[in-house]
Amino acid sequence: MSEENLFRLRVAYVKQGRLRYLGHLEVLRTIERIVRRAGLPYAVTQGFSPHMKISFTSALPVGTASVCEWYDVYLETYVPARRALASLRKASPADLAPYAAGYVDLRAASLSAALTHAAYRSTLELNDASALAGHLPQGAPSVGRALQILNALKAHGCITYVRGRKNKKMDLVNTLDGAMVTEFVREKDPHSHTESLRAPKPGEIGDLWGLALVTRSSEKGALRPEVLIRAWEKALAFWGQAGNHGLGAEEVVAEILAEPLVVEPYGVFAHYEVTRVSQQMETKDGKLVEPLPRPQDASGR
Amino acid sequence: MRAAYEDLFHLIEPLLQGVEKPSRYIDHEWGALSKPDARFRVCLVYPDTYEVGLPNQGIAILYRILNAQEGISCERGYLPWVDMADAMRSRNIPLLSLEGAAPLASFDVVGFHIPHEMAATNYLETLDLAGIPLLSAERGEDDPIIIAGGPSVYNPEPLAPYIDAFLVGEGEESIVEVARELERSRDEGLPRAERVARLARIAGTYVPSLYEVAYDSEQAPHGHAVPRADSGAPAVVYKRVIADFSATDPIAQSVVPYTELVHDRLSIEVLRGCARGCRFCQAGITYRPVRERSADQIVAAVARGLEQTGYDEVSLTSLSTTDHSQCECVLDRLNERLAGTGISVSIPSQRLDSFDPELAEAVAGGKRGGLTFAVEAGSQRLRDVINKNVTEEDLDRAMRAAFEAGWRRCKLYFMMGLPTETDEDIVGIARLADHVVELAREIVPKDQRGGVSVSISVAVFVPKSHTPFQWCGQLERDEVKRRQQLLLHSVRSRQVRVSYHDADVSLLEAVLSRGGRDIAPLILEAWRRGARFDAWSEQFDLDRWRDAASACGIDLDRVACEPYEIGQHLPWDHVSPGVSPGFLEREYRRAAQAETTPDCTRTSCTGCGICPRLGAENVIEGERK
Ligand code: SF4
Repeated sequence: MSEENLFRLRVAYVKQGRLRYLGHLEVLRTIERIVRRAGLPYAVTQGFSPHMKISFTSALPVGTASVCEWYDVYLETYVPARRALASLRKASPADLAPYAAGYVDLRAASLSAALTHAAYRSTLELNDASALAGHLPQGAPSVGRALQILNALKAHGCITYVRGRKNKKMDLVNTLDGAMVTEFVREKDPHSHTESLRAPKPGEIGDLWGLALVTRSSEKGALRPEVLIRAWEKALAFWGQAGNHGLGAEEVVAEILAEPLVVEPYGVFAHYEVTRVSQQMETKDGKLVEPLPRPQDASGR
Repeated sequence: MRAAYEDLFHLIEPLLQGVEKPSRYIDHEWGALSKPDARFRVCLVYPDTYEVGLPNQGIAILYRILNAQEGISCERGYLPWVDMADAMRSRNIPLLSLEGAAPLASFDVVGFHIPHEMAATNYLETLDLAGIPLLSAERGEDDPIIIAGGPSVYNPEPLAPYIDAFLVGEGEESIVEVARELERSRDEGLPRAERVARLARIAGTYVPSLYEVAYDSEQAPHGHAVPRADSGAPAVVYKRVIADFSATDPIAQSVVPYTELVHDRLSIEVLRGCARGCRFCQAGITYRPVRERSADQIVAAVARGLEQTGYDEVSLTSLSTTDHSQCECVLDRLNERLAGTGISVSIPSQRLDSFDPELAEAVAGGKRGGLTFAVEAGSQRLRDVINKNVTEEDLDRAMRAAFEAGWRRCKLYFMMGLPTETDEDIVGIARLADHVVELAREIVPKDQRGGVSVSISVAVFVPKSHTPFQWCGQLERDEVKRRQQLLLHSVRSRQVRVSYHDADVSLLEAVLSRGGRDIAPLILEAWRRGARFDAWSEQFDLDRWRDAASACGIDLDRVACEPYEIGQHLPWDHVSPGVSPGFLEREYRRAAQAETTPDCTRTSCTGCGICPRLGAENVIEGERK
């Protein structure tokens, strides 16, 4: 079947819950199976080992959740988007469920090339918040210090980190557009066994930090939140050590990045979760838009 | 008190970022069955990692059957890889089932699959991680009942002290009977010992605690098991065989994994059993009689299975798929149906004597990867001894056809240390390999010869119970080493690549295959010294086993290599696939004379005794060639 007669269905899906521990290849394979289970008339490539014509957004690391992943699957016959979405949802585990579908132009740029803007949100559970705060210089609010480190990292320009047996360089100048840290206190309701988060009262120290990252990717690469978070954590841990309190944020960052960063826990965060919360593309006139119109409009072509 | 059945996923979740392949531990796969509310809970455990165990058809079949039972819930368990096991142990986190993330110790029954002998220490590792006493005799009223079954159940003695009851043979019916009996006896409030003993009344169930070890003489070092007086247990437990294979659901799988597996595809068991009669092969005896599914049933099952799972590959599995009387017709129909979908059909390797390049191409989706053939022995005499009915002409014809049709790579499997083997037979292996290279030189165009690769893989023969070679010992290790060197020096062509199975692993496999109940303490001692995942070469260490053996006063080489005498009681006599001892003895004698025995699905019954003993018969859909 010639290319021009195909239909390019764009589907938005989530990756959440336990399934955020899936690796990228595991997600791709699973989605291909979902498409086959859904019985959609997918097109296959030519050649000796024909496979489904489908393409995806950039890889999410193991453990990272998302509410905004996409794929384009090429169909041989037209299926109303609403119906395709319903079949896909039925064939999908809930934690990987699609939530929007619509057709896009066959000549439109590929998702991985077009989606240059991504935002992440992370919640970070502090190991021992009060001890940490005590170690930070001058008893300043820890989030303020944390933000200083983030800014110092950005000013440093890049992070060299260890990946497998190689060292890799992650640029921050062109990839990190903004970062914000907020502090939360966890409140347990003894009666309903539920938890809620609130902002700390004056003088109170938070249990959790919220980190919001606004990022941009180019041919030079994309930002990997887990690398930034571990660098940040290593810097905070280093700053907290006796004798280092007097150092400035820039000095701390220069010190911990003097050697390639090993991406592993440094004791400040007990646990953290990252979610990709938006992926957008830039139009010719510089506006940021989603790859598909909002779900309510996605009724067909 | 029994551990509570509760979801403890939050205990392992923090570990997931730090271990290899976290998707091994997360469940939530497509098609996972589970019942949060059930009166009776079974956890079926594959004694290896998730990705090794998930494709297992035996567990898949029983998982479906049990979950279809009213009031019974069946979950799965796998052994965490060493990184996860160590992390869990150091934090006192017990082993959890997959679906409910509940402690194994909270189930009514834990059922092990027994895939092969080398998993021995993994049962202990599993039980220990689960916090369940390792020895049946030490388990209390609240501990789960530990059952086991699977292809390697035909010498259960080395595992006897650790397993409450073995289910011998096809489990489709007996697993339900056992579960129902245990549910009843639990509800009646019977003591554990009595509940376990009652299982012996169910056909095909071997309850080791009802047997004691007797010795014919001092020459019988391992003894043999006999029922205790008044136990009511049968002297011989015969395997179960299901009444009607064609009435079972051909789609065993329900779960579609996320983790990448070696065999990541839909499997349809198209036939059960093989009657070729290779004398070294245990499966060739223990899966009899031969029963084929009809072409219509297979084709319909493939379509339905693909729809349910979304796989892009389907494998038609069995011990010998091309023996199916309608194999070609099934493949034609499937290839026609699946054209243009990107979905491929595969079959396990073809046989040399019936190799068909067109068929090979059809199942490879037009790709010409490597071909593999089991030749097993280097001379016609020795192939007659083992009843491997392939000839040098078969090899010649198949390889010519393959090279002409464009194949360039092949791998030939052989065994070393077969009964009556001489140096001539070893040199014969080299000669066959050289001959294949010569064929390639003759047929393959010059500019493509670089792509030609001929490799031979040589395993050490391990004598197995209930085969005509069950009396034989394994070849001594030094002699194995010498013959390996002889083979290496006999190969002339530099294009032949020779690889061996590790002789150390084969030695241990022989010990675990041939020993009696006396071997059980060795397994425990080896596990205490750190042995686990012995089937993984990176984890296996013979020295650990040697140390354990000397601590137990066991001579590994002697257990592996000392032959049994005909007429002696054997440690596995009391657990039988139904084969008559006289048949095995006759086959053994025919082997010594290099006399072959035909395939009973192609000629007439050759008298193995299995059909009359089990009240079953071969079911062949068409005419076998
Ligand atoms: S009893 Fe006869 S027909 Fe049945 S499997 Fe044995 S040899 Fe074949």
